[in-house]
Amino acid sequence: MVISDAVRSAIDAEIAKYPEKRGALLAALHLVQREHGWIAPETAKAIAEIFEIRAIEVMEVVTFYNMFLDRPQGRHQVRVCTNLPCSLRGARELVHTLEQHLGVEAGETTPDGRIHLGHEECLGACAWAPMMRIDDTYYENLDAEQAKKILDSLK
Amino acid sequence: MPKITVDGASYEVAEGRTILQALDDQGVLMNGVDIPHYCWHPKLSIDGSCRLCQVEIEGIPKLQIACNTPVRDGMVIHTRNERVEKAREGVMELLLINHPLDCPICDKAGECKLQDYAFEYGVPHARTREPRRAGKKRVDLGPTIVFDQERCILCRRCVRFCREVPGTGELSVFSRGDQSVIETFPGEPLDNDYSMNVADICPVGALTTKDFRFKIRVWFLEDVPGICTGCAKGCNVHLGVANNRVYRYVPRRNDAVNGTWICDEGRLSYARIGADDRIAGHEVRQPDGRALPVSIDVALEEAAERLRGVIDRKGAGAVGILASPHATNEDLFVARRLLEALGSSQAGVAVRTGRSDALLIQPEKAANAEGCRRLGFGPAEALLERARGGAVAALLVLGHDALATQGPELLETLRGLDVVLLADSHRSELERVAQVVFATRVVAEKHGTLTNHAGRVQRVVPAVEPSFDAHAEGEIMWRLGRALGLPGFDGAWDLQAVSKALAETVPAFAGIDLASVPPDGVPRADR
Ligand code: SF4
Ligand code: SF4
Ligand code: FES
Repeated sequence: MVISDAVRSAIDAEIAKYPEKRGALLAALHLVQREHGWIAPETAKAIAEIFEIRAIEVMEVVTFYNMFLDRPQGRHQVRVCTNLPCSLRGARELVHTLEQHLGVEAGETTPDGRIHLGHEECLGACAWAPMMRIDDTYYENLDAEQAKKILDSLK
Repeated sequence: MPKITVDGASYEVAEGRTILQALDDQGVLMNGVDIPHYCWHPKLSIDGSCRLCQVEIEGIPKLQIACNTPVRDGMVIHTRNERVEKAREGVMELLLINHPLDCPICDKAGECKLQDYAFEYGVPHARTREPRRAGKKRVDLGPTIVFDQERCILCRRCVRFCREVPGTGELSVFSRGDQSVIETFPGEPLDNDYSMNVADICPVGALTTKDFRFKIRVWFLEDVPGICTGCAKGCNVHLGVANNRVYRYVPRRNDAVNGTWICDEGRLSYARIGADDRIAGHEVRQPDGRALPVSIDVALEEAAERLRGVIDRKGAGAVGILASPHATNEDLFVARRLLEALGSSQAGVAVRTGRSDALLIQPEKAANAEGCRRLGFGPAEALLERARGGAVAALLVLGHDALATQGPELLETLRGLDVVLLADSHRSELERVAQVVFATRVVAEKHGTLTNHAGRVQRVVPAVEPSFDAHAEGEIMWRLGRALGLPGFDGAWDLQAVSKALAETVPAFAGIDLASVPPDGVPRADR
C-alpha cells in the first residue's frame, strides 16, 4: 500500500518538528494507520525509506505499541481497560459480557468485520473505571447494558 | 592508567573501558574473574539487558552492571559476596521463569550458558505455579538457522550481531514485555554470509544451526585448535572432533585475525575433510589407462624412475613443480628444496579466487597463498607457458587448484608433457593425466604452519587421521628426493628439521619454530 501524497506531506510536516527525523516516527505511523487501517509490511518499508531506517525497525515500533496494528482488523477497535483499577470495578466481567454479546473472544474480530474486541492496559481513566476505548473515543463509567448498546450503535 | 581492584587483585586497565571490557582486555574474564553475563559480548555493542553481571562497587550504594559501568581509578569491585550472589540468583530465577526446561531434547545442552549459570548461580527449584509461556518451536529463520522462541532469553546478541557485523539487520525484537519475541521482517529470512555465528553467540538453545543440530552431543566433541582453509584469511577455528571425524568448525577467538567470527562458507568447509571424493590411496596408471592401487613405496619408485628418465633425456632443469596454496609452509619449503637440488627454476602456483568482502572473506580461496609467494612460487601461468614451449618435461602437480584457474586447457598442457605426477587430497580430472597419484593429507590431518593474507604465520595440528594411507606433500617430496638420490635428501622425513631449516634459510620465516608458534600465530607483515 502506498502512502498518499497528503499523508506524505503531513509526515514531512511532523519530521520538521524534530531535531532527528526518527523522532517523528510515531506520528507518521498514526497518520499512515489512519489512512490504511493497519501497517502492512510494504507500508513499513515505505515508511522506513522516508525515515532512512530499516523496515524491521519500523516493525519493532509497530509491534511494541498496541495502538498500531500489524494486521488488518475490524472497522472499529474496541479496547476494554483491564488494568487493576478497572478490574476492581468489574472490567473483566465486562469483557466477558461483550465477548458473549458479540460472539467472539477478546483478540478476535466479528465475522462481519465490524468490531475488533480486545483488552488494553491502563488508559489513564482510572477515576471513571470501568472504561473502554473505541477508536479514538473514551467511554467511561460503563455498565454492561450501556456498553452493549454502544457496541450495537457502531456501523 | 586507572587502577582497579577486583576481589582483592589489582589491575591496571585502559581508560574509558567498562569493567567487563577491562577484565576481558586483561584476559581474566571467566578465566580467574568469573562475572557471569549473557547480553554482553566482547565484539558487540553494550546492551545491559540481562542484568546478570551485577557487581558491588565500594562507595556506590546499589549493585551496578559490570558490562556498562566505566572503570575509574581506585575502583574497588566485589564479584562474589553474598549480595552479588543473591542478585544473580534473582536474575537467574526471572530468566528461567518461562523457560521450557527442555534440556534433554535441546541441542545446546552441554554448552549452554543458561544451564551452566543455573547450575552455578541459580536456585534448584521454581517458586511459580503459573503455566509457563508457550512459544513457537522450530521456527525456520532462514537457510542456516532454526529458532526456538521458548528458550530465548532476549539478550539481543543475535539482533546486534546482524546489525553490527554483517550489517544486514535481519533480526529484531517484536512486541513488548513478556510478549517480546525475536522475529525477522515478514517474509525475509535470516540470510547473510555470516549468519551461523548467531548460533555460537546465542547463550541458550534458541538459535541452532541446521547443519550441526542433533548430529552429536557436544560433550563427546574434542575441540582441536585449527585454521579454516576456505580462504587466505586463515580464520582461527576449533574443530569439533569425535570418532576420528570432524563434526563442525566453530570460531576460535583471535583478535588479530577473525575476532570471534567465521563466515558460513568457511564454517561448512569442514565437510571437505571426510568427503567421499577423497583420494584414498596411491595409484599408478597402467598402460591400459586403469589406475592400480599401490603402496607409497611402489608409487615413489615408479615416480622416481619416470623422473630419472626425463632427467637423463632433457636434464633436471626440465622438472617442475606446480605447487598448492593449500600446502603448508613446510611442505612448500621441501618443494623449493627439491627444485634447488635438481637445479630447476620451474615453479609456480595457481590460486583460485572468488568473492570477497571487507569483513573477513578474502579473494584468494586457499589458506596459504601468501606462504607460496613468500617461498618464491610465482603465478602458474608463466610456468605453464614454459611447459607449452617445451622447457618443462615433467611436472609434479600439488592439488588441483590450477584446474579452477586454467580450465580444461591445463589438461591439454599436461597431456603434452612426458611425466605428470599428482599429489592431491580430492578427486579431480587431473588424475586422468597423471602417471602416478599420491594421496595427500589435508590441513586438518597434519602438522605445519600456514601464512595468512596479512603475513601471519599460524600453526595447525592433526585433528583427525585419514582412514587410508596419505602423507603430507612435504613428506612425499622428501621421499621422492631421497629416491632420486638428491643431495640433502638423506635420512628419514623429519618435519621438525624441515621447520628448522626453513627458519634458518628463508628470512620471511626467521625465528619461527613449528613447535613454539603461539595459538594466535606470529605476525610477519614484511615479505
Ligand atoms: S535468540 Fe539467543 S541470542 Fe537472540 S536474543 Fe534470544 S537468547 Fe539472545
Ligand atoms: S573468511 Fe575465509 S578463512 Fe575465514 S571462515 Fe571464511 S573462508 Fe574460512
Ligand atoms: S551482561 Fe551486563 S547486563 Fe547483560
